[in-house]
Amino acid sequence: MKSRALLAFTASALALPGLTAQVRADAAPTQSVVSYQLSAYQEDDLAGQYRVAGSSKRYDINIQQLRLLMPVGETYSLTLNSSLESMSGASPWYAIRRANGSTGIVMSGATISEERRDFIAAGRKYLPNGTLGLNLAVSEENDYSSLSGGFDAERHFNDNLTTLTGGLGYASDELQPSDAKLFGRVAQANKHSTSVFLSVSQILNRSSVIQTSLSITHLSGYLNDPYKLGDIRPDVRTQTAWTTAWRKYIDGMDAALHVDYRFFHDTFGIDSNTLDLNWYQNVGENLQLIPGLRYYSQSAADFFSPTINFAGGQALQSTDYRLSAYGAVSGSLKVQWEVEDFTLSLAAERYRANADYAVNDGPVSPALVTFNRYSLGLDYKF
Amino acid sequence: MNIFWQILFLTLAAPLLASCTPVAAWERGTLASPEMALDPSPLDTALGNHIYFSKEAASGGNSASGGGCGCN
Repeated sequence: MKSRALLAFTASALALPGLTAQVRADAAPTQSVVSYQLSAYQEDDLAGQYRVAGSSKRYDINIQQLRLLMPVGETYSLTLNSSLESMSGASPWYAIRRANGSTGIVMSGATISEERRDFIAAGRKYLPNGTLGLNLAVSEENDYSSLSGGFDAERHFNDNLTTLTGGLGYASDELQPSDAKLFGRVAQANKHSTSVFLSVSQILNRSSVIQTSLSITHLSGYLNDPYKLGDIRPDVRTQTAWTTAWRKYIDGMDAALHVDYRFFHDTFGIDSNTLDLNWYQNVGENLQLIPGLRYYSQSAADFFSPTINFAGGQALQSTDYRLSAYGAVSGSLKVQWEVEDFTLSLAAERYRANADYAVNDGPVSPALVTFNRYSLGLDYKF
Repeated sequence: MNIFWQILFLTLAAPLLASCTPVAAWERGTLASPEMALDPSPLDTALGNHIYFSKEAASGGNSASGGGCGCN
């Protein structure tokens, strides 16, 4: 069993190809690159004082990713991505107000084990003044499937100093929650999403570039989380995200600063700000150190409630911690070592969510998550 | 002006408002270095998007991140 609170978001991510387009005139790749990465992350256990029932041991997740980028002729490229995710652990089911007035969390019972597989194919055509891209993706789990596709086009202007990119995407997802009869869950449901984005990139000078993008995603269908008790959400949701990325090379230090900011707003009533800072430090010819710091803050959804209202009938409500007001800080360090055609990478991250980190006041869940992540990756060019 | 139009204005205006200087093609060597890419590591980006997507309410505005999510 797992929660499905924000599944539709994935559709929007899938439907947003092309935002990583380069800001200079693109040329088709001349080499193939195969990449593999193994990652593991463990959520900290739920603090004992909040647990009412179920297991306090939250998820342990392993993810394997495989990616192949290859030229096709002189003006095309093909990218294939596949991932396998396996997870086990418990997740919050609902929250109650206890006799002493405090909030308690009822966790799912037995430890759950599950897998997810996805596959994404993306093709790109390189033109004298831009590119055209197409992608298709499928994802399968025992209780969920997703099929999506997207199209994007980019055009270079102004002596290739400016790039305009736009794209469209669509996703269709189907849920078939497990143990539906036993727990009174919906037996089958669908959701759909349509998204559009527009992006402008600009070379500012010899050492800096900026990209700013606007994306809008409209979701409709079953947007409740079937694995959370009493979770009733609107059946439509429109999300708007404005992102800006700035890259600055620091000559004297042989390093590059990456600054990424995102403002997010949706019709659930959630506003969010994300600031991501990364420092790419070259050390000699073959080594690179990349420390990073990320800050995230969100307001609560209009219908978020810290505790469940059993007399709520069909009124909108959710105790999902992901719709709570909170902030999160994460720090990371990645090391990359290049040896001829191979690049080995090691990364670690510590993520901590806390109500005190939030920019906005609002109702808060005590089930906020903290986790450690470790990744090991290998690239090979040929 | 509602929030949509404010965001649209900022999105389109930001690069234009920035102080740009002409950069000839032969002066773009630094910009072409891997560490200056908007997305230097697609696998890391996909992984990060997927993990944050499963823990946070906000998403989008970044590179494609994979299929239907194992949110927990």
